[in-house]
Amino acid sequence: MNGIEQSLVGGVEGGTAILLPALGELIGQRAGVINLGSEGAMLSGALGSYAVASSTGNLVYGVLAGFVGGAIVGLLHSWLTIRRGGDQVASGLLLWFLALGVTSVFGADYKDSIVDPLKEYAIPGLSSIPWVGPILFDHNLLVYLGYVLVGVIWFVFYRTRIGLTLRATGERPEVVSATGGRPQLVQITAVTLGAALGGLGGAQLSIGFVGNWTNNMTNGYGFVAVAVVLFAAWRPVYVLAGSYLFGVVLATAPVLQAHQVAVNQYLLDALPYLATLLVLALFARRGKSETPEALVRSLNRST
Amino acid sequence: MTATETAVVTAPPTPEPVREPTQLRRFSGSPRLRYAAIVLAGYVIALVLFGFIAWLKDAEPFSMFRTMIDTTLLNSSSLQQTVLRAVPIALAALAVTIPARAGLVNVGGEGQLIIGAVVATGVGVAIGDDVPGIVSWTAMCLGGALGGAIWAGLSALMRTVLGANEAVTTLLLNFIATDVMLYLLYEPWKDPDGSGQPQSRPLPKDAILPKLFGSDINLGVFIALAAVGLVWFLLTKTTWGFALRVVGGNSEAARRSGMNVNRLLLSSMFVGGAIAGLGGALNFAGVDAQLHPSATLTYGYVAFLASFLGRHKPLQVFGAAVLFSAIALSGNGLQINDNLDGAIVDILLALIVAVPLVLVKFRRRA
Repeated sequence: MNGIEQSLVGGVEGGTAILLPALGELIGQRAGVINLGSEGAMLSGALGSYAVASSTGNLVYGVLAGFVGGAIVGLLHSWLTIRRGGDQVASGLLLWFLALGVTSVFGADYKDSIVDPLKEYAIPGLSSIPWVGPILFDHNLLVYLGYVLVGVIWFVFYRTRIGLTLRATGERPEVVSATGGRPQLVQITAVTLGAALGGLGGAQLSIGFVGNWTNNMTNGYGFVAVAVVLFAAWRPVYVLAGSYLFGVVLATAPVLQAHQVAVNQYLLDALPYLATLLVLALFARRGKSETPEALVRSLNRST
Repeated sequence: MTATETAVVTAPPTPEPVREPTQLRRFSGSPRLRYAAIVLAGYVIALVLFGFIAWLKDAEPFSMFRTMIDTTLLNSSSLQQTVLRAVPIALAALAVTIPARAGLVNVGGEGQLIIGAVVATGVGVAIGDDVPGIVSWTAMCLGGALGGAIWAGLSALMRTVLGANEAVTTLLLNFIATDVMLYLLYEPWKDPDGSGQPQSRPLPKDAILPKLFGSDINLGVFIALAAVGLVWFLLTKTTWGFALRVVGGNSEAARRSGMNVNRLLLSSMFVGGAIAGLGGALNFAGVDAQLHPSATLTYGYVAFLASFLGRHKPLQVFGAAVLFSAIALSGNGLQINDNLDGAIVDILLALIVAVPLVLVKFRRRA
């Protein structure tokens, strides 16, 4: 496997740990709620899945625990922002600190335990396509889940009534309410499900391809996921592209260094954020139609 | 926010400072007393929850609280540490407060602190050996403030010119600032005598802010206090501060009454960023004296929560920043004395900020 393939495979593995939380963030933001606690949801999911996997020895339970761990953070965010009417940015940041504290304190017990990471399954046929096959179709199930979810979310968003209600909630919750819908319920469901996907992203890190637990192991991936949603201008397919692009960029520097190419990792690391800023700069006005209006309103509401 | 409120503005636009109107209507003290009791109960519950979590980790809650107070407030050297750590947190918190008055959300305190420290490092290391201390102190403070102002100003420009939301652009710029700092520390600025550690050259002795009264308190603490006083004065006693609140209350009304809203938004972010940049510079020039990758330790985000807890009122924000400084510092003591992971204090921080979030509705009613 040459260096390019190596960084692409790494990009898909690491990119999935961005894609799942980014899709979750997308669902929440489309319903009009930004969750900066995405990082917290990932931490919670990463430790939850690792703890359950290492004590039961069953990785499936581990993945489920990751989902639940993220969902708990999502429920807290829903409660604070939607039910109690608290500020979304403050709530997200405090949930990040909460998760950082809780996982550091209770994760100490799992630092020395070992978990075999999730098995990789080569998809028969597809994985033998030259070059593309090993990069895209020889991974663990969470990676494939990411592929499938992009399609599912696109379909639900644009082809179903549920998706219409979700998007309408993100634009004009009062209209949804006037037509007999329950915008709060939609938002709570979206935020909780979204954070649960964030938890799966954390699981992809801890039991997906790394196979250990360290304090603060998500190291900003949750914030990258938020950036990806903005980069993608709230479109599911662009979220997929953005996540893997960011994943590849993050995976490239170590590969280059391993091949004795002198490159400063941190200049590369800044690129995704610069690209996101550029997208925001270029499309802030033109892209307005796709920016969930309720989201803009809640962000502009002075804290 | 702007379009929906135009209807309100058809009345003659006499901008008034935005006060909670309900407080004026109900003169009797009882609802406010009840609210105070609810708030107090909220904080007690937060502390009990925190004690419970520590108890789950086999710590004795009362001895833990004892440690936290002992190692942050009760002897003079720990109190000094609390004060020193409060400098960057308080100044970054005011960087949130000032734009918040005008209705802007600055999540970028972290990046503005970092850039302030980076510029101060560049300036201080370059000239520190050649000029008297007072020149390099001034240059580092001004440079740091300018750096922070530009960093925050970028977001403000993106907001006013391009319409990009400042909450997300300030957040993104935090990560870019971190990467800029790490890039410098791992390559061009790496200390050649640092045995391979990613850290800058140490600041020359003369350029370090002098310690005063034989304590650890340095000149930076007083510069920071002056900055806090200045911000308080600007926000509460000047036309500019008044105008910011009008814009924050109803930007459409402000525009129609002839205020230059964009200029006010820009200036609020610019001044805020400068204050945070100053905080980064003071922390570097007074305490660290050598830039290293963990220079800010997420103080910028803690600062956002401090400004939120202080309800964007300068003196309350300052108090919240000192409290958070003590909480952050107490992690060290808990690690040593009570065998707890130092990060446990992040839980307390979160629980404390959760109280006003949970009680928003009560406050509106009281």
